[in-house]
Amino acid sequence: MKTPLRPLVLAAVASLLAVGCGPTPPAAFRLNMVEAVAPSAEKDSVAAELALSIDQQRQVATILAALFGSPDEPFCQPEMGLDPAKLRLAAGPVRSDIVGRKNGLYREHCVHCHGITGDGLGPTAAFLNPYPRDYRPGIFKFKSTERSDKPTHADLVKILHNGVPGSSMPSFALLSPAEVDALAEYVKYLSIRGETELALMRTFFELDDDAQGKLAETREFLIDEIVAPIAEKWTAASEAVIEVPEMPADEDLAASIEKGRALFHGNKANCVKCHGVTALGDGQANDYDDWNKDIVKIRDKLAKLAAGEADAAERRWAAGFQEVLVSEALRPRTIPPRNLRHGIYRGGRRPLDLYYRIHAGINGAPMPAAKGTVASEDIWHIVNYIRSLPYDFDGELGADRAVAVRPGPAVGLAATQED
Amino acid sequence: MKRLAGIFWSLLFLAVPVLGVATFAIAPSIDVWLPKDVSSHGHEIDSLFYFILALTGVVFIATEVLLFWFLWKYDAATREGEPATYIQGSHTLEVVWTIIPAATLLFLAIYQMNAWANVKMRRPDMPPTVEVVARQFEWRLRYPGRDGALGTPDDLHLVNDLHLPIDEEVLVQLKSKDVLHSFFLPNLRIKQDAVPGMKIPVWFCGTEAGEYDIVCAELCGWGHYKMKGRVTFVTRPEFDAWLERKYAEQEATQPEPEAAGELVAN
Repeated sequence: MKTPLRPLVLAAVASLLAVGCGPTPPAAFRLNMVEAVAPSAEKDSVAAELALSIDQQRQVATILAALFGSPDEPFCQPEMGLDPAKLRLAAGPVRSDIVGRKNGLYREHCVHCHGITGDGLGPTAAFLNPYPRDYRPGIFKFKSTERSDKPTHADLVKILHNGVPGSSMPSFALLSPAEVDALAEYVKYLSIRGETELALMRTFFELDDDAQGKLAETREFLIDEIVAPIAEKWTAASEAVIEVPEMPADEDLAASIEKGRALFHGNKANCVKCHGVTALGDGQANDYDDWNKDIVKIRDKLAKLAAGEADAAERRWAAGFQEVLVSEALRPRTIPPRNLRHGIYRGGRRPLDLYYRIHAGINGAPMPAAKGTVASEDIWHIVNYIRSLPYDFDGELGADRAVAVRPGPAVGLAATQED
Repeated sequence: MKRLAGIFWSLLFLAVPVLGVATFAIAPSIDVWLPKDVSSHGHEIDSLFYFILALTGVVFIATEVLLFWFLWKYDAATREGEPATYIQGSHTLEVVWTIIPAATLLFLAIYQMNAWANVKMRRPDMPPTVEVVARQFEWRLRYPGRDGALGTPDDLHLVNDLHLPIDEEVLVQLKSKDVLHSFFLPNLRIKQDAVPGMKIPVWFCGTEAGEYDIVCAELCGWGHYKMKGRVTFVTRPEFDAWLERKYAEQEATQPEPEAAGELVAN
């Protein structure tokens, strides 16, 4: 009985050693494959010849590793304006350091949604609506700076502190200030890294023939041409906070709300186009945010390519790229305009936050900036009107809504009874 | 050899009550016992807990010692050749061991009624002090503001950082935005499920200023273990001042120069 059992036991132990007890591979950043295969800069001509070769992809990964390190040992260049001590606190596996401080905060609190690379492709991402933020394009929605500017450090801290109500982002208000600070710094790090990756990939298309498809790996080129322009935008953010004029104080609130209502429905601000005349967010609702729009555009191009007269090589590339989309991107979703009667404000509910949203618009989303079209005083009127909406149950709009109640079910019921 | 096996098994069974009692004896000194009670009704819950613990403890020890004693006494190694005796069963004994636990359970059911009613049924006649909305994975808070009514423009909206006044009854209106959660205040001996679609009142009275945990006690998703909040008990004047300060922050129309610093230093 013993002899035939022995090989079985040995096999079981061997497979356990191989599978269960083998060393875990170290955490690694993932390459931005969608960009590598179908560069967004060249979206009008998505085609096989634009895809980066394997060698070029390898070169990007090598340069990024040299500039930014790995998820376990991140580092930064002095030009990036990041604090390496904060990055160390946030990065790596969850553990306690020599003074008993908890390290690896990003992996404890953020990684399951935002992913190890900050690509918004963590394991829980596909289940969330809206999807978690992909930091790599360096676009952030809720901030105190102009639309195209970066958020300030305080803006990121505020989002971590308050969470984003209406999305799946919870509050981290009870983490210590140093921890929140470290996480905000790490978000910036991942974002600068992602932007650098995009810039590197796009640089390949500007290469001359003598470069033989390779980037110069000199520090001058990488730092001065690629990293510095990105990092400068981040360091400039704290100086670029929007100047907010005082709310017109002499105005009666009811009068201000009335003015806001007129502006909301008016042609200039034209809020009704998307938020709807009832402000229920039922206007134009078939638009995408920038993250999803990229995927939609590529997807449509692929479909066109497959339907058109593509040669065999291009068809093969298109089929291969479909696979990349399935594994490296989430199914695109439209972004519904906010229902302003819920009283849920993702970027904060202070009048100041709403002023920023209207003044600068929402970067990455279809919400445009009112700056330039609408006077700052009028923006305050719109803010007051919007703040009144969740409590505005009577009056004209309420009457409109009563009319809008469909008689459908009652008719249906009557029909059933007749049957 | 056989006798040794008998001794081993009986001592192993004896170890159960010995270690069991030792665990309970040591627990308070290594801080794995009931957390500090800072509520006006907690002593009632605690004394019920201790009473039931004592009752079940006595039965536990008696049963376990009896098990040990039977193993020891009726070890086959010491009673070689002695045949097992057949008994018909004892009607009296069966009646006794049915009636005693039944009576005990009935007694407990009646004895705890008042404590239960105080915590879950005798809702104080007052408007909610605060609304707590559980959500994956945080506690969203809404205070009624100056007008004392929820759902008005002067509501104060916060998250995770609950403040309440001490030495007065407070009423929490508990809701859930998504799935089942459970609002658990270990130091106040309060635990109440938050059920989607229901407004559930929870009331208590804190007696000692300080910061205490709010935890979720119902597995609500992968982040359940991180769904932590904090309740801070302060005096009424401090509470009112805190409400005013938070409301002013919520109504800010200008960035405060120290606002960023304060968020960090909060």
